[in-house]
Amino acid sequence: MPQVTVTVRDSGGRTATATASYAIAPPVLGGYYLSGGADPTADIAGGNFRSLTQYRSFADGYIFPGYQRQWLTTLGKSGIKINMVLELKHYGAPNAGPQTFTVDGTSYTVPAPAMTIQQRPGTTWPKAYGYGQVLAGQCDGLFARALSQYRTLGFPVNIQLASELDTDHEFGTSEAGKAYNWAESDARAVQAVTYIVNWFKARPLPAGSTFSVGLGGFDRACFQRTHPESLMARLDHLQWNVYATSPTHTALDRFRRTKDWAVADLGPVALSRPVIIAEWGVRVAEIPNQAAWIATVPAAIAKLNAERGPRIVQTNYFNSGWGTLSPKATGLSALKAAYATRPYV
Amino acid sequence: MAAPTASASLNASTYSPGDQMNLTVTYGDADTRPLTVTIVVTDAQGNSSAPVRVAAVIDPLTVTVTDDSGRSWTRLSDNGAVAVYRAVA
Repeated sequence: MPQVTVTVRDSGGRTATATASYAIAPPVLGGYYLSGGADPTADIAGGNFRSLTQYRSFADGYIFPGYQRQWLTTLGKSGIKINMVLELKHYGAPNAGPQTFTVDGTSYTVPAPAMTIQQRPGTTWPKAYGYGQVLAGQCDGLFARALSQYRTLGFPVNIQLASELDTDHEFGTSEAGKAYNWAESDARAVQAVTYIVNWFKARPLPAGSTFSVGLGGFDRACFQRTHPESLMARLDHLQWNVYATSPTHTALDRFRRTKDWAVADLGPVALSRPVIIAEWGVRVAEIPNQAAWIATVPAAIAKLNAERGPRIVQTNYFNSGWGTLSPKATGLSALKAAYATRPYV
Repeated sequence: MAAPTASASLNASTYSPGDQMNLTVTYGDADTRPLTVTIVVTDAQGNSSAPVRVAAVIDPLTVTVTDDSGRSWTRLSDNGAVAVYRAVA
Protein backbone atom coordinates (compact mmCIF):
# COMPACT_ATOMS: atom_id res chain seq x y z
CA MET A 1 0.00 0.00 0.00
CA PRO A 2 1.53 3.35 -0.95
CA GLN A 3 2.18 5.73 1.89
CA VAL A 4 2.64 9.48 1.98
CA THR A 5 4.81 10.95 4.73
CA VAL A 6 4.57 14.55 5.90
CA THR A 7 7.47 16.04 7.81
CA VAL A 8 7.23 19.38 9.59
CA ARG A 9 10.56 20.85 10.73
CA ASP A 10 11.14 23.91 12.89
CA SER A 11 14.17 26.18 12.88
CA GLY A 12 15.78 24.20 15.64
CA GLY A 13 15.66 21.00 13.62
CA ARG A 14 12.86 19.44 15.62
CA THR A 15 10.52 17.44 13.45
CA ALA A 16 7.07 15.93 13.52
CA THR A 17 5.95 13.34 10.99
CA ALA A 18 2.57 12.05 9.99
CA THR A 19 1.68 9.36 7.48
CA ALA A 20 -1.36 8.40 5.44
CA SER A 21 -1.75 5.19 3.45
CA TYR A 22 -3.86 4.69 0.38
CA ALA A 23 -4.65 2.05 -2.19
CA ILE A 24 -4.79 2.33 -5.96
CA ALA A 25 -7.60 0.12 -7.18
CA PRO A 26 -7.03 -1.92 -10.30
CA PRO A 27 -9.08 -0.89 -13.32
CA VAL A 28 -12.75 -1.86 -13.33
CA LEU A 29 -13.36 -5.02 -15.35
CA GLY A 30 -15.47 -4.46 -18.42
CA GLY A 31 -17.41 -7.58 -19.24
CA TYR A 32 -20.04 -9.22 -21.36
CA TYR A 33 -22.76 -11.83 -21.67
CA LEU A 34 -24.02 -13.15 -25.00
CA SER A 35 -27.59 -14.32 -25.42
CA GLY A 36 -28.24 -17.98 -24.83
CA GLY A 37 -24.97 -18.41 -22.98
CA ALA A 38 -23.36 -18.53 -26.42
CA ASP A 39 -19.63 -18.37 -27.09
CA PRO A 40 -18.70 -14.65 -26.88
CA THR A 41 -15.14 -15.12 -28.11
CA ALA A 42 -15.73 -13.51 -31.51
CA ASP A 43 -17.66 -10.57 -30.05
CA ILE A 44 -15.05 -9.67 -27.45
CA ALA A 45 -12.06 -10.09 -29.75
CA GLY A 46 -10.04 -6.90 -30.03
CA GLY A 47 -11.73 -5.29 -27.04
CA ASN A 48 -10.68 -4.80 -23.43
CA PHE A 49 -13.21 -7.37 -22.19
CA ARG A 50 -12.00 -8.86 -18.97
CA SER A 51 -15.02 -10.52 -17.37
CA LEU A 52 -18.03 -12.61 -18.26
CA THR A 53 -21.30 -13.64 -16.67
CA GLN A 54 -22.65 -17.17 -17.18
CA TYR A 55 -25.81 -18.91 -15.96
CA ARG A 56 -26.28 -22.53 -15.00
CA SER A 57 -28.99 -24.44 -13.18
CA PHE A 58 -28.02 -26.80 -10.39
CA ALA A 59 -30.35 -29.21 -12.22
CA ASP A 60 -27.97 -29.28 -15.19
CA GLY A 61 -25.56 -32.19 -15.25
CA TYR A 62 -23.02 -29.98 -17.04
CA ILE A 63 -22.33 -26.88 -14.95
CA PHE A 64 -18.57 -26.35 -15.27
CA PRO A 65 -17.73 -25.42 -17.94
CA GLY A 66 -21.15 -26.37 -19.32
CA TYR A 67 -22.38 -28.60 -22.09
CA GLN A 68 -20.18 -28.08 -25.15
CA ARG A 69 -18.74 -24.94 -23.62
CA GLN A 70 -15.04 -25.68 -23.75
CA TRP A 71 -14.61 -22.05 -24.80
CA LEU A 72 -15.41 -21.03 -21.20
CA THR A 73 -12.38 -22.95 -20.00
CA THR A 74 -10.26 -21.30 -22.69
CA LEU A 75 -11.47 -17.81 -21.75
CA GLY A 76 -11.07 -18.44 -18.03
CA LYS A 77 -7.54 -19.73 -18.43
CA SER A 78 -6.72 -16.68 -20.54
CA GLY A 79 -7.55 -14.47 -17.54
CA ILE A 80 -11.17 -13.49 -18.16
CA LYS A 81 -12.89 -13.37 -14.75
CA ILE A 82 -16.01 -15.50 -14.71
CA ASN A 83 -19.09 -14.60 -12.67
CA MET A 84 -20.88 -17.95 -12.55
CA VAL A 85 -24.56 -17.61 -11.68
CA LEU A 86 -25.76 -20.89 -10.18
CA GLU A 87 -29.52 -21.14 -9.81
CA LEU A 88 -31.92 -23.35 -7.92
CA LYS A 89 -34.27 -22.56 -10.81
CA HIS A 90 -34.76 -25.76 -12.78
CA TYR A 91 -33.52 -25.85 -16.38
CA GLY A 92 -30.93 -27.67 -18.44
CA ALA A 93 -32.18 -31.12 -17.44
CA PRO A 94 -34.28 -33.45 -19.59
CA ASN A 95 -37.27 -33.30 -17.23
CA ALA A 96 -38.30 -31.92 -13.87
CA GLY A 97 -38.37 -35.29 -12.13
CA PRO A 98 -35.99 -36.69 -9.55
CA GLN A 99 -32.36 -37.31 -10.57
CA THR A 100 -30.00 -40.09 -9.61
CA PHE A 101 -26.34 -39.67 -10.48
CA THR A 102 -22.88 -40.55 -9.23
CA VAL A 103 -20.26 -38.02 -8.19
CA ASP A 104 -16.72 -39.23 -7.53
CA GLY A 105 -17.99 -42.70 -6.70
CA THR A 106 -20.89 -41.61 -4.49
CA SER A 107 -24.45 -42.07 -5.69
CA TYR A 108 -26.96 -39.32 -5.01
CA THR A 109 -30.71 -39.14 -5.57
CA VAL A 110 -32.19 -35.65 -5.64
CA PRO A 111 -35.99 -35.25 -5.56
CA ALA A 112 -37.97 -33.29 -8.10
CA PRO A 113 -37.95 -29.51 -7.57
CA ALA A 114 -40.80 -28.56 -5.23
CA MET A 115 -40.85 -24.76 -5.46
CA THR A 116 -42.35 -22.33 -7.95
CA ILE A 117 -40.85 -18.87 -8.45
CA GLN A 118 -41.36 -15.82 -10.72
CA GLN A 119 -45.12 -16.22 -10.21
CA ARG A 120 -46.11 -13.36 -12.46
CA PRO A 121 -49.84 -13.57 -13.21
CA GLY A 122 -50.60 -14.91 -16.65
CA THR A 123 -47.26 -16.67 -17.08
CA THR A 124 -46.09 -20.23 -16.55
CA TRP A 125 -44.32 -20.33 -13.21
CA PRO A 126 -40.86 -21.87 -13.36
CA LYS A 127 -39.95 -24.69 -11.01
CA ALA A 128 -36.99 -24.49 -8.68
CA TYR A 129 -35.43 -26.57 -5.97
CA GLY A 130 -37.09 -25.37 -2.79
CA TYR A 131 -35.39 -23.51 0.02
CA GLY A 132 -36.88 -26.14 2.32
CA GLN A 133 -35.41 -28.89 0.17
CA VAL A 134 -31.99 -27.21 0.38
CA LEU A 135 -32.16 -26.88 4.16
CA ALA A 136 -33.25 -30.52 4.47
CA GLY A 137 -30.08 -31.57 2.67
CA GLN A 138 -31.99 -32.98 -0.28
CA CYS A 139 -29.97 -30.94 -2.80
CA ASP A 140 -26.51 -31.79 -1.48
CA GLY A 141 -25.96 -34.09 -4.45
CA LEU A 142 -26.46 -31.13 -6.81
CA PHE A 143 -23.84 -29.15 -4.93
CA ALA A 144 -21.45 -32.10 -4.89
CA ARG A 145 -21.84 -32.51 -8.65
CA ALA A 146 -21.18 -28.83 -9.27
CA LEU A 147 -18.18 -28.78 -6.93
CA SER A 148 -16.63 -31.86 -8.51
CA GLN A 149 -16.80 -30.24 -11.93
CA TYR A 150 -15.59 -26.89 -10.60
CA ARG A 151 -12.46 -28.50 -9.16
CA THR A 152 -11.40 -29.67 -12.62
CA LEU A 153 -12.00 -26.28 -14.27
CA GLY A 154 -8.51 -24.95 -13.65
CA PHE A 155 -9.31 -21.43 -12.43
CA PRO A 156 -11.39 -19.81 -9.68
CA VAL A 157 -14.71 -18.10 -10.33
CA ASN A 158 -17.19 -16.00 -8.43
CA ILE A 159 -20.21 -18.15 -7.65
CA GLN A 160 -23.31 -15.98 -7.64
CA LEU A 161 -26.16 -17.88 -6.01
CA ALA A 162 -29.41 -17.04 -7.81
CA SER A 163 -29.76 -14.62 -10.69
CA GLU A 164 -32.27 -12.19 -9.18
CA LEU A 165 -33.95 -13.12 -5.91
CA ASP A 166 -36.20 -10.06 -6.23
CA THR A 167 -37.44 -11.25 -9.64
CA ASP A 168 -37.86 -14.78 -8.25
CA HIS A 169 -39.90 -13.60 -5.24
CA GLU A 170 -41.73 -10.51 -6.51
CA PHE A 171 -45.07 -12.35 -6.76
CA GLY A 172 -44.40 -14.77 -3.94
CA THR A 173 -43.27 -18.38 -4.09
CA SER A 174 -44.72 -21.72 -3.13
CA GLU A 175 -43.09 -24.90 -1.98
CA ALA A 176 -44.79 -28.25 -1.36
CA GLY A 177 -48.24 -26.70 -1.50
CA LYS A 178 -47.49 -23.82 0.88
CA ALA A 179 -47.46 -20.22 -0.33
CA TYR A 180 -44.95 -17.64 0.85
CA ASN A 181 -45.15 -13.90 0.26
CA TRP A 182 -42.22 -11.82 -1.01
CA ALA A 183 -40.70 -11.07 2.40
CA GLU A 184 -41.14 -14.65 3.58
CA SER A 185 -39.50 -15.92 0.41
CA ASP A 186 -36.56 -13.56 0.97
CA ALA A 187 -36.07 -14.84 4.52
CA ARG A 188 -36.18 -18.45 3.34
CA ALA A 189 -33.73 -17.69 0.53
CA VAL A 190 -31.24 -16.13 2.96
CA GLN A 191 -31.30 -19.36 4.97
CA ALA A 192 -30.88 -21.50 1.86
CA VAL A 193 -28.08 -19.36 0.40
CA THR A 194 -26.30 -19.44 3.75
CA TYR A 195 -26.62 -23.23 3.73
CA ILE A 196 -25.20 -23.50 0.21
CA VAL A 197 -22.28 -21.15 0.84
CA ASN A 198 -21.45 -22.98 4.04
CA TRP A 199 -21.69 -26.29 2.21
CA PHE A 200 -19.16 -25.16 -0.41
CA LYS A 201 -16.85 -23.43 2.05
CA ALA A 202 -16.69 -26.53 4.22
CA ARG A 203 -14.93 -28.30 1.35
CA PRO A 204 -11.70 -27.64 -0.53
CA LEU A 205 -12.29 -25.03 -3.24
CA PRO A 206 -10.03 -23.69 -5.98
CA ALA A 207 -7.91 -20.91 -4.48
CA GLY A 208 -9.45 -17.51 -5.15
CA SER A 209 -13.05 -18.72 -5.19
CA THR A 210 -15.55 -16.06 -4.18
CA PHE A 211 -19.29 -15.94 -3.53
CA SER A 212 -22.19 -13.53 -3.86
CA VAL A 213 -25.98 -13.58 -3.80
CA GLY A 214 -27.93 -12.51 -6.89
CA LEU A 215 -30.35 -9.58 -6.99
CA GLY A 216 -31.78 -7.42 -9.71
CA GLY A 217 -31.58 -4.63 -7.16
CA PHE A 218 -34.84 -2.94 -8.16
CA ASP A 219 -36.53 -3.20 -4.77
CA ARG A 220 -35.01 -1.49 -1.75
CA ALA A 221 -36.74 -3.53 0.96
CA CYS A 222 -35.88 -6.81 -0.73
CA PHE A 223 -32.25 -5.75 -1.16
CA GLN A 224 -32.03 -5.01 2.54
CA ARG A 225 -33.76 -8.24 3.57
CA THR A 226 -31.44 -10.36 1.45
CA HIS A 227 -28.21 -8.78 2.74
CA PRO A 228 -28.05 -9.40 6.50
CA GLU A 229 -24.57 -9.02 7.96
CA SER A 230 -24.58 -12.68 8.99
CA LEU A 231 -24.81 -13.71 5.34
CA MET A 232 -22.54 -10.94 4.04
CA ALA A 233 -19.80 -12.16 6.37
CA ARG A 234 -19.80 -15.35 4.25
CA LEU A 235 -19.88 -13.53 0.89
CA ASP A 236 -17.19 -11.63 -1.01
CA HIS A 237 -19.16 -9.30 -3.27
CA LEU A 238 -22.26 -7.22 -3.46
CA GLN A 239 -24.09 -7.55 -6.77
CA TRP A 240 -26.94 -5.97 -8.65
CA ASN A 241 -28.05 -5.46 -12.24
CA VAL A 242 -28.54 -2.19 -14.11
CA TYR A 243 -30.89 -1.46 -17.03
CA ALA A 244 -31.80 1.72 -18.84
CA THR A 245 -35.42 1.38 -19.98
CA SER A 246 -36.54 5.00 -20.26
CA PRO A 247 -35.26 7.99 -22.22
CA THR A 248 -34.92 9.79 -18.88
CA HIS A 249 -32.53 7.21 -17.43
CA THR A 250 -28.92 8.34 -17.10
CA ALA A 251 -26.03 5.98 -16.50
CA LEU A 252 -25.16 7.68 -13.23
CA ASP A 253 -28.73 7.42 -11.92
CA ARG A 254 -29.17 3.81 -12.93
CA PHE A 255 -25.84 2.53 -11.60
CA ARG A 256 -26.20 4.47 -8.38
CA ARG A 257 -29.78 3.56 -7.43
CA THR A 258 -29.02 0.29 -5.67
CA LYS A 259 -25.71 1.60 -4.35
CA ASP A 260 -27.47 4.44 -2.57
CA TRP A 261 -29.92 2.00 -1.00
CA ALA A 262 -27.03 -0.22 0.08
CA VAL A 263 -25.11 2.66 1.63
CA ALA A 264 -28.22 3.78 3.51
CA ASP A 265 -29.49 0.38 4.61
CA LEU A 266 -26.69 -2.18 4.86
CA GLY A 267 -24.12 -2.82 7.56
CA PRO A 268 -20.35 -2.34 7.52
CA VAL A 269 -19.55 -5.89 6.45
CA ALA A 270 -21.80 -5.64 3.40
CA LEU A 271 -20.41 -2.23 2.51
CA SER A 272 -16.85 -3.52 2.67
CA ARG A 273 -17.59 -5.83 -0.25
CA PRO A 274 -16.81 -4.75 -3.84
CA VAL A 275 -19.66 -4.77 -6.33
CA ILE A 276 -20.16 -6.96 -9.38
CA ILE A 277 -22.67 -5.66 -11.90
CA ALA A 278 -23.57 -9.08 -13.30
CA GLU A 279 -25.76 -7.52 -16.00
CA TRP A 280 -26.17 -4.06 -17.45
CA GLY A 281 -28.01 -3.10 -20.56
CA VAL A 282 -29.69 -0.41 -22.58
CA ARG A 283 -33.14 -1.17 -24.01
CA VAL A 284 -33.18 -0.03 -27.60
CA ALA A 285 -36.96 0.47 -27.74
CA GLU A 286 -36.76 3.50 -25.44
CA ILE A 287 -33.13 4.47 -26.09
CA PRO A 288 -32.50 4.01 -29.82
CA ASN A 289 -29.00 5.42 -29.55
CA GLN A 290 -27.57 2.70 -27.35
CA ALA A 291 -24.04 3.71 -28.27
CA ALA A 292 -24.43 7.22 -26.87
CA TRP A 293 -25.75 5.88 -23.57
CA ILE A 294 -22.97 3.29 -23.34
CA ALA A 295 -20.43 6.07 -23.86
CA THR A 296 -21.57 7.74 -20.63
CA VAL A 297 -20.99 4.65 -18.49
CA PRO A 298 -17.24 4.96 -17.77
CA ALA A 299 -17.59 8.44 -16.28
CA ALA A 300 -20.56 7.30 -14.21
CA ILE A 301 -18.62 4.36 -12.78
CA ALA A 302 -15.60 6.56 -12.08
CA LYS A 303 -17.77 9.07 -10.26
CA LEU A 304 -19.52 6.42 -8.17
CA ASN A 305 -16.19 4.85 -7.24
CA ALA A 306 -14.87 8.23 -6.15
CA GLU A 307 -17.75 8.53 -3.70
CA ARG A 308 -17.98 6.74 -0.38
CA GLY A 309 -19.47 3.28 -0.28
CA PRO A 310 -18.67 -0.02 -1.98
CA ARG A 311 -16.65 0.12 -5.19
CA ILE A 312 -17.90 -1.27 -8.47
CA VAL A 313 -15.20 -3.64 -9.73
CA GLN A 314 -16.87 -5.45 -12.63
CA THR A 315 -19.63 -4.56 -15.11
CA ASN A 316 -20.83 -7.16 -17.59
CA TYR A 317 -22.94 -5.97 -20.51
CA PHE A 318 -26.00 -8.21 -21.05
CA ASN A 319 -26.32 -8.59 -24.82
CA SER A 320 -29.66 -10.35 -24.56
CA GLY A 321 -33.23 -9.53 -23.55
CA TRP A 322 -33.53 -5.90 -22.48
CA GLY A 323 -29.87 -5.26 -23.28
CA THR A 324 -29.84 -6.69 -26.80
CA LEU A 325 -27.45 -4.61 -28.89
CA SER A 326 -29.21 -3.43 -32.04
CA PRO A 327 -27.54 -2.96 -34.42
CA LYS A 328 -25.07 -5.31 -32.85
CA ALA A 329 -21.95 -3.98 -34.56
CA THR A 330 -22.65 -0.41 -33.45
CA GLY A 331 -23.29 -1.52 -29.90
CA LEU A 332 -20.17 -3.65 -29.73
CA SER A 333 -18.07 -0.75 -31.04
CA ALA A 334 -19.50 1.47 -28.32
CA LEU A 335 -18.76 -1.15 -25.66
CA LYS A 336 -15.21 -1.53 -26.88
CA ALA A 337 -14.72 2.23 -26.82
CA ALA A 338 -16.19 2.49 -23.32
CA TYR A 339 -14.01 -0.31 -21.99
CA ALA A 340 -10.97 1.43 -23.45
CA THR A 341 -11.67 4.42 -21.20
CA ARG A 342 -10.88 5.14 -17.55
CA PRO A 343 -11.84 3.53 -15.13
CA TYR A 344 -11.69 0.42 -17.31
CA VAL A 345 -8.00 0.97 -18.14
CA MET B 1 11.68 25.43 22.18
CA ALA B 2 8.57 23.32 21.55
CA ALA B 3 8.42 20.52 19.00
CA PRO B 4 6.14 20.91 16.00
CA THR B 5 2.99 18.88 15.44
CA ALA B 6 1.66 17.44 12.20
CA SER B 7 -1.27 15.41 10.96
CA ALA B 8 -2.09 14.18 7.47
CA SER B 9 -5.36 13.02 5.98
CA LEU B 10 -6.36 11.89 2.50
CA ASN B 11 -9.78 12.45 0.99
CA ALA B 12 -10.20 8.73 0.30
CA SER B 13 -8.54 5.45 1.19
CA THR B 14 -8.77 3.90 -2.28
CA TYR B 15 -8.38 5.61 -5.64
CA SER B 16 -8.83 4.57 -9.23
CA PRO B 17 -5.92 5.19 -11.56
CA GLY B 18 -6.10 8.79 -12.74
CA ASP B 19 -8.15 10.01 -9.79
CA GLN B 20 -7.20 13.29 -8.15
CA MET B 21 -5.96 12.69 -4.61
CA ASN B 22 -6.12 15.43 -2.00
CA LEU B 23 -3.89 15.49 1.08
CA THR B 24 -4.64 17.88 3.93
CA VAL B 25 -1.75 18.63 6.30
CA THR B 26 -2.53 20.31 9.59
CA TYR B 27 0.56 21.54 11.41
CA GLY B 28 1.81 23.92 14.04
CA ASP B 29 4.37 24.72 16.69
CA ALA B 30 3.74 26.50 19.97
CA ASP B 31 6.81 28.69 19.34
CA THR B 32 5.88 29.78 15.90
CA ARG B 33 4.79 33.39 15.92
CA PRO B 34 4.23 35.68 13.05
CA LEU B 35 5.36 39.23 13.80
CA THR B 36 5.80 42.50 12.03
CA VAL B 37 8.89 44.70 12.51
CA THR B 38 8.23 48.37 11.82
CA ILE B 39 11.21 50.63 11.20
CA VAL B 40 11.22 54.41 11.29
CA VAL B 41 14.48 56.32 10.71
CA THR B 42 14.76 59.63 12.50
CA ASP B 43 17.64 62.12 11.95
CA ALA B 44 19.22 64.58 14.37
CA GLN B 45 16.78 67.25 13.35
CA GLY B 46 13.89 65.10 14.29
CA ASN B 47 12.81 64.33 10.72
CA SER B 48 11.35 60.83 10.42
CA SER B 49 11.06 58.59 7.45
CA ALA B 50 7.84 56.92 6.53
CA PRO B 51 7.49 53.66 8.46
CA VAL B 52 8.67 50.48 6.73
CA ARG B 53 7.07 47.21 7.76
CA VAL B 54 8.75 43.83 7.49
CA ALA B 55 7.03 40.53 8.23
CA ALA B 56 8.98 37.87 10.07
CA VAL B 57 8.30 34.52 11.74
CA ILE B 58 9.83 33.26 14.97
CA ASP B 59 10.74 29.59 14.64
CA PRO B 60 9.32 29.12 11.14
CA LEU B 61 8.21 25.67 9.99
CA THR B 62 8.91 23.85 6.78
CA VAL B 63 6.62 21.14 5.46
CA THR B 64 7.84 18.38 3.17
CA VAL B 65 5.77 15.63 1.62
CA THR B 66 7.21 12.38 0.32
CA ASP B 67 5.49 9.35 -1.20
CA ASP B 68 7.04 5.90 -1.19
CA SER B 69 5.35 5.08 -4.50
CA GLY B 70 7.13 7.98 -6.16
CA ARG B 71 4.05 10.13 -6.78
CA SER B 72 4.77 13.82 -6.65
CA TRP B 73 2.53 15.97 -4.52
CA THR B 74 1.93 19.57 -5.49
CA ARG B 75 1.08 22.20 -2.91
CA LEU B 76 -2.20 23.92 -3.71
CA SER B 77 -2.47 26.15 -0.65
CA ASP B 78 -0.81 26.82 2.71
CA ASN B 79 -2.04 29.29 5.31
CA GLY B 80 0.60 28.45 7.91
CA ALA B 81 -1.62 26.00 9.76
CA VAL B 82 -3.29 23.97 7.03
CA ALA B 83 -1.70 23.00 3.72
CA VAL B 84 -3.40 21.14 0.90
CA TYR B 85 -1.47 18.99 -1.56
CA ARG B 86 -2.62 17.18 -4.67
CA ALA B 87 -1.40 14.19 -6.67
CA VAL B 88 -2.78 11.97 -9.39
CA ALA B 89 -3.49 8.32 -8.63
